[in-house]
Amino acid sequence: MNPESAQGEEPLLLERARRGDEAAFAALIRMHQASVFSIGFRMLNRRDAAEDLAQDVFLQLYRKLDSIESLEHAGFWLRRVAANLAIDWLRRAAYTRAAPLEDGVEIPAPPTCEDPLMDRELVRLLGELAPAARAVMVLRYQEDRDVAEIAAALDMPVNTVKSHIKRSLTAMRGKMIGAQLLTAEELS
Amino acid sequence: MNDFENRLRRALRPVEPADGFAERVMRALPAQHAPANVVPLVIVRQAAPVSAWRRFSAPAALAASLLVAVFAGQHVATLQAAREEQAGLAASRELMQALRVTSQKLDLAYEAVQRPAPAPAVEEENRS
Repeated sequence: MNPESAQGEEPLLLERARRGDEAAFAALIRMHQASVFSIGFRMLNRRDAAEDLAQDVFLQLYRKLDSIESLEHAGFWLRRVAANLAIDWLRRAAYTRAAPLEDGVEIPAPPTCEDPLMDRELVRLLGELAPAARAVMVLRYQEDRDVAEIAAALDMPVNTVKSHIKRSLTAMRGKMIGAQLLTAEELS
Repeated sequence: MNDFENRLRRALRPVEPADGFAERVMRALPAQHAPANVVPLVIVRQAAPVSAWRRFSAPAALAASLLVAVFAGQHVATLQAAREEQAGLAASRELMQALRVTSQKLDLAYEAVQRPAPAPAVEEENRS
C-alpha cells in the first residue's frame, strides 16, 4: 500500500492497523517516516542513530495503537515521542558532541536556486544548540508546527518555546554574520 | 516571516530514511499482534532492572577493602611487637653476659690482691 492510497483510506487505516493488519501499519510508517527520521537526524546529526531512533518510535507506536485516536493524533504523538526521545538520547551523552554532517548525506536540491553550503552551515549551527532548543527549532522550522503544539509536544510553557526560538535565531544569525556568510542587511 | 527563517526552513527540509525502512521496522515488530498498553520504550529503558551484582558490588568491594586493611594493620602491629620483644630479650641476655664477665674479672683481681707476697729476706741471703 502506498502512502497516497493510505491517505484516501485514512479513517480505516488506523482501525486496520489496530486489528493487526501489517500492511496498514506499514502504510502508517511510510506516511510519517520522513518526519520522524528527520527529527532524529537533525537532533542527533547521524543517520544511523536517526534510523535507530525512528525505529524505536514506530515500535512504541505499535504498542500504543489502541490509545491513538486519529491519524492527526498519530502525527502529533510521533513528533512528540521522537523529539523527546532524541533529547533523552542527547542528555545521556551518547550523542552530545555535535558531529559534522556525515559524508555522503545528500541534501535534496531546493526548488529555488539556493546555496547548499549555507544550508549545511545552518544545519551545523542548529547542531550547536542545546537539546531542548534544538528540538524547538526542528519542530518549528522542519515540521512547521506552531508554538502551542511545540509547547504541548515538549511539555514546556509557550513563552519558553518563544524564548528558545528567539534566542536560537539570534545566535544563529550572529554566527552567520560573524562567519561572513551573510550580511546583516540580508538577514534583516 | 523574514528571510533568515525562510532559509532555515529550506535547510531543514525533511530527509527520507534509507530504502526499506518500513520493512525493517515491520521485521522488528514483536510476534504477537497489538500488545496494547505496554510501557513506552523510554520508560522501559530507564526502569531496566539493575542486577544484584551491579547494585552490591561497590559496597561489597569497599567493605572487603576495609576488612583487609584492618587485618593487615593488626598483623603488622603484631609482627612489630614480636620484633621489639625479641630485641629486648637479646639486649637483656647481652647485659647479663657482660655482668658475668665483669664479675669473674673482679673475682680474679680480688684473689690476686689477697694472695701473700714472697718474703724479701730469702732474697738477700741468696745474693750474699
